[in-house]
Amino acid sequence: MKKILSLGILLTLFFAAFSATKAKIEVPLRFDRYYNYDEVNEALKALNKAFPALTKLEVIGKSDEGRDIYALTINNPKTGEPLSKPGVYVDGNIHGNEIQAGEVCLYYANMLLTKYGENDKVTKAVDRNAHYIIPVVNVDGRYHFFADAHTPSSSRSIRIPKDDDNDGLLDEDAPDDLDGDGSITQMRIKDPNGDYKADPEDPRILVRVKPGEKGEYTLLGSEGIDNDNDGKLNEDAEGYLDPNRNFGHNWMPPYVQSGAGNYPFSGTGIKAVNEFIMNRPNIIIAFSFHNNGGMWLRVPSEKSVRMEPADIAAYDVIGKDAERMTPGYVYQPSYDLYPTYGDSDSQLFFNFGIYSFVGELFQRETETFKGKNEKPVQPQAQQPTEGRRGANPEETREQLKFSDYLTQGEMYTEWKPFNHPVYGEVEIGGWVKMSSRLPQPFMLNELVHRNASVVFFAAENTPDISMEVFDVKEIGKNLTQVRVRLKNKNGLSSMTADAFKRKLYTPDILKVTGGKVVAGGKIQDFRLNKVNYKESKPEIQFLAVPGFGVVEYQFLVEGKGEITIDYQSAKANDIKTTVKL
Amino acid sequence: MVKKLHLFMLTAALLMAGMRLTAQPVTVGGKYHTNTEVQQILSQLQQANPSVVKLHTITNSPGGEPVTILEIGANLKGVPAVFTGANFEGNNPLSTEGALYLAKMLLDSAKYRENLKWYILPNPNPDAAKGYFAKVRYGRTVNDFQLNNDADEAINEDGFDDLNGDGFITKMRVKDPEGTLVVSKNDPRILVKADPAKGEKGEYKIYDEGIDNDNDKQYNEDGEGGINPGIGFPHLFPHDNKEAGLWAGQTPEVFKLMEFMYAHPEIAMVFTIGNSDFCVAAPKGGRKGGASMQNIKVPARYARMLNIDPEQSFSMDELIEIVKQNMPAGMEITPSQIAGMLGLGAAVNPLDDDLKFYTKLAGDYKKYLESKKYGTDRLEAPGDKDGSFELWAYYHLGVPSFSMNLFTVPKVKEEKKADSAVSLDDVEKMSADEFVALGEEKIDAFLKANNAPDRFTANGIIEMMKSGRVTPKQMAGMMKNAPKKEKEGELGERDKALLAYSDKEWEGKGFVPWQKYNHPTLGEVEIGGYIPYLESTPKPERIDSLLGTQLPWLLHLSTQLPKISIADKKLTALGGGVYKLELYVENTGYLSYPIAMGQRNSQPAPVVIVLEGDIKILEGIKRTPLGAIGGNQVKKLTWIIQTDKNPEIKAIIESAVFGTSEKQIKIAG
Repeated sequence: MKKILSLGILLTLFFAAFSATKAKIEVPLRFDRYYNYDEVNEALKALNKAFPALTKLEVIGKSDEGRDIYALTINNPKTGEPLSKPGVYVDGNIHGNEIQAGEVCLYYANMLLTKYGENDKVTKAVDRNAHYIIPVVNVDGRYHFFADAHTPSSSRSIRIPKDDDNDGLLDEDAPDDLDGDGSITQMRIKDPNGDYKADPEDPRILVRVKPGEKGEYTLLGSEGIDNDNDGKLNEDAEGYLDPNRNFGHNWMPPYVQSGAGNYPFSGTGIKAVNEFIMNRPNIIIAFSFHNNGGMWLRVPSEKSVRMEPADIAAYDVIGKDAERMTPGYVYQPSYDLYPTYGDSDSQLFFNFGIYSFVGELFQRETETFKGKNEKPVQPQAQQPTEGRRGANPEETREQLKFSDYLTQGEMYTEWKPFNHPVYGEVEIGGWVKMSSRLPQPFMLNELVHRNASVVFFAAENTPDISMEVFDVKEIGKNLTQVRVRLKNKNGLSSMTADAFKRKLYTPDILKVTGGKVVAGGKIQDFRLNKVNYKESKPEIQFLAVPGFGVVEYQFLVEGKGEITIDYQSAKANDIKTTVKL
Repeated sequence: MVKKLHLFMLTAALLMAGMRLTAQPVTVGGKYHTNTEVQQILSQLQQANPSVVKLHTITNSPGGEPVTILEIGANLKGVPAVFTGANFEGNNPLSTEGALYLAKMLLDSAKYRENLKWYILPNPNPDAAKGYFAKVRYGRTVNDFQLNNDADEAINEDGFDDLNGDGFITKMRVKDPEGTLVVSKNDPRILVKADPAKGEKGEYKIYDEGIDNDNDKQYNEDGEGGINPGIGFPHLFPHDNKEAGLWAGQTPEVFKLMEFMYAHPEIAMVFTIGNSDFCVAAPKGGRKGGASMQNIKVPARYARMLNIDPEQSFSMDELIEIVKQNMPAGMEITPSQIAGMLGLGAAVNPLDDDLKFYTKLAGDYKKYLESKKYGTDRLEAPGDKDGSFELWAYYHLGVPSFSMNLFTVPKVKEEKKADSAVSLDDVEKMSADEFVALGEEKIDAFLKANNAPDRFTANGIIEMMKSGRVTPKQMAGMMKNAPKKEKEGELGERDKALLAYSDKEWEGKGFVPWQKYNHPTLGEVEIGGYIPYLESTPKPERIDSLLGTQLPWLLHLSTQLPKISIADKKLTALGGGVYKLELYVENTGYLSYPIAMGQRNSQPAPVVIVLEGDIKILEGIKRTPLGAIGGNQVKKLTWIIQTDKNPEIKAIIESAVFGTSEKQIKIAG
């Protein structure tokens, strides 16, 4: 027994080494494969090594199991420090199983760096913005998703043990990979009284029998044994603490929303990620990638929350074109999918004033096996079919053909007999973990490119403010009227309307120094000479410059000489100019 | 060189030790203590009781002050614990003294800590607590966190200013054409709202003492600090109040305490000494938005699954029964599961079953105080605040949470008026018929005497009672919670009490008389008003008697905790080595485990009954969650087991709260 075990370990080591040499990690990075947790870090280090001047790689904190969480900052120091530029934040894989989100982040970094100096738009974005990239937020989840047997949906949680079945023990009855195929698939048992029968066209598929019809199978659920011998199978797996319900804004306890964690930021890694973002007040746009379904989600994530119309307009600038760049995606408020509390996008928008998007990557209906004139199946779900009510067998048939013909069967474990300690003779089979929610490697390149392009498009739309002193006029009594115009070339405001209204942080400042300002205020209509003067401290004006918008200010300055006009913004570019009176 | 250095170090060490020896020991009581002194007291208690006391410094405040929890019972394992926190808002120094006094009582006698651990946090908001000892006092509640309250270009640039140099931030009153206040006819010190309907015209505006330091036309809008940890917890977190932080637990005093509380699942009861008072009255209810557990509508998709009518309403108990029918037999369905499935949201009002123990114990407390000759006719303690620790402990931890306010100002006795023979308390106990039977005149008098809102008329109320739209109890509840209206021609109860208290116990110095001051932007103003801390903080010489009278009640409350054990067993042979095993688990404590809120949120750690022995379990499982058990109740658990031998069976109670205890069961051959 021992010998077999050590042989097994040897074999594993051999394979591990083999896979590493098979896919040597070099820049430019390849995207016809998935990177495990260590390989993601290696890929980041490779990028950092290849572009030391443009990148900074840092460990921003540790996970609950002690793994490093990496962030890559892309910035051209020759054009300024990161904090002086509009920040673009991208993260992925906050749910451990949603791995292609990590690849989108890596691709975005790879694209910016390898095309820098070659493509004008990319060069400009690297020079003008600071890009912050955390490819894997839930590092433990990603690690385990690759290392252990899982379903396409498990290893989502962060690793804080929880007693799901209230028996005083933690995480003691997870599913088990009984057939050793590296995935948690399904178990079925022959049963003349069962609710299912084999689909006549493809016996791998189980269809529900009609009332009165003779059954063939009973579905026993996920692969596993009753580890804790309590009469329930697989009822207390890892976690569950959903890292995307553990953020601060509008957090609700676990009895209101399962998986919330005991209190906001109880997840060690989640707290570190939040602090990373909080300490970069220049971030104006953020993307968090998930799978799946093909969606661009914006706040609010709960219906009762009111949004400023100007903010919805700003979101629309990105969201509407993002839909076109990613065929089949839907752009919608997050609550339309389902309401959530304590999610990262609400935290970023409502507490940090960042336009935050969630990208739900991949639609299973892109896994086609169809002639030109064959009618497409109406997709009903992205989940494995077995055991789910109302699944469309036609859809599953096509998915299985896709697996058979285009992945040489890699996506599906054929049903095979297994002698189960509780149930006796059962069959085990079904969709493997690397299926259902993520594209097969040969389709990955297109997915990461399209989605990274959306991030890039958003980066191009971060505020770009220019200042013009468009009128300097003596108006007598030693006073000069100075009119200043601030123009935002791009679609995102220099500050969200919500942050401005709620006084979340110091708004943009337009400040005159070097002269005595007797009056100053916002110009309502410069042709009609309508100005709203500020009641006190007229030399400092608080404002925001809306997307594609213009704001104009007027100052009445006493005396002669040179004054300085400063525009300072937390999230947009700062500008300074001087005017001779 | 090395030697010399050693010698120097040795001398220094000796000197330091000597200093420590000669330092005056700080003692509990008699005065208010700074955090440095509190820390000294905690260290002394630890040094005097090294095997029993352990200190946990959970964090430093943003101002660099340590936040320390004193553990009494460090030698105990597998016992429940009581957590006591005091002075979360930092503006109630008496409560910090209360926590220290509690620690001292516990260490002086072992009676209440034999099978119970205590965690005591006397100063969770040390930055704000500095405010009482500051040169200028204003009742500070915020810590030193850098907060830009007004979101301008500077931080902490416009705080209060002690313009008259008396060490207190009081009020400025200034004559202003837009003023809405007039001097009260009853006491010239007090300003009241002018009533235009009576032909009165406002004369005064009132400001807090200070100048517009940053010249933005606002006074004192961005002072020192910070976040108030006392409103920084995640139950009903006040998102719109910047002083709560951007999210619950943003400031380390709150975050690290939440971490501590969840790391100690043995905490089965929480006391909060400070502003609110759940010993006197239950946490307030009546908030909108909480789902009623009596009238639950089931969304159509679930209703179809359960074969029930989505238009009808069900009680939680009814739903549990309905869901049970659709589940495998014997599966325990909890209110928490149902509420989660139906998306009922967060509880915002105390649950009915918990109000029973709060009300009963409040009654006992009143009697206790009377027996101590402590006058209970005092101003009401401030209500619980959204985001407070005490509410969080109840709603999120799901444990009995009692708060205690150690001092409010005595009310001024009013002569009983003949026509107000019916009191609010009387009405609360009446049926609708009894109330209507009082007649219009008496009801009218009752409404007037109790400051009923103007929309409450005797006729209207009678109609509503007759039609069953409102019960006397509901109405009394509403009137108790309504803001106190100032009676015509009289000072408000609060002003009356405070002025009398200031005159009697502070030689009138509790109210700074209005004095003229030439203000840089407001022109001629008068500065005066109540001194900060007057309402909550008596003179130091009164500390000891206040603590000695009230704090023993917390010791008494700790004895109400559930006590769970296996009371009895019954083994019935069914033949062929098959037995029916019945265990009677009892809770001899007064409180249920968990309380209703704990059942709703499933947060308290489960009590699990574990069977061990050479047996095969035919029905039931080896580790059986006990589920909820009421106070003074017995719960029977049944297993069918099989064994060929005559083994010893052990039944073990396992719980992160109550520890482990076992019972031997002998199967005789």
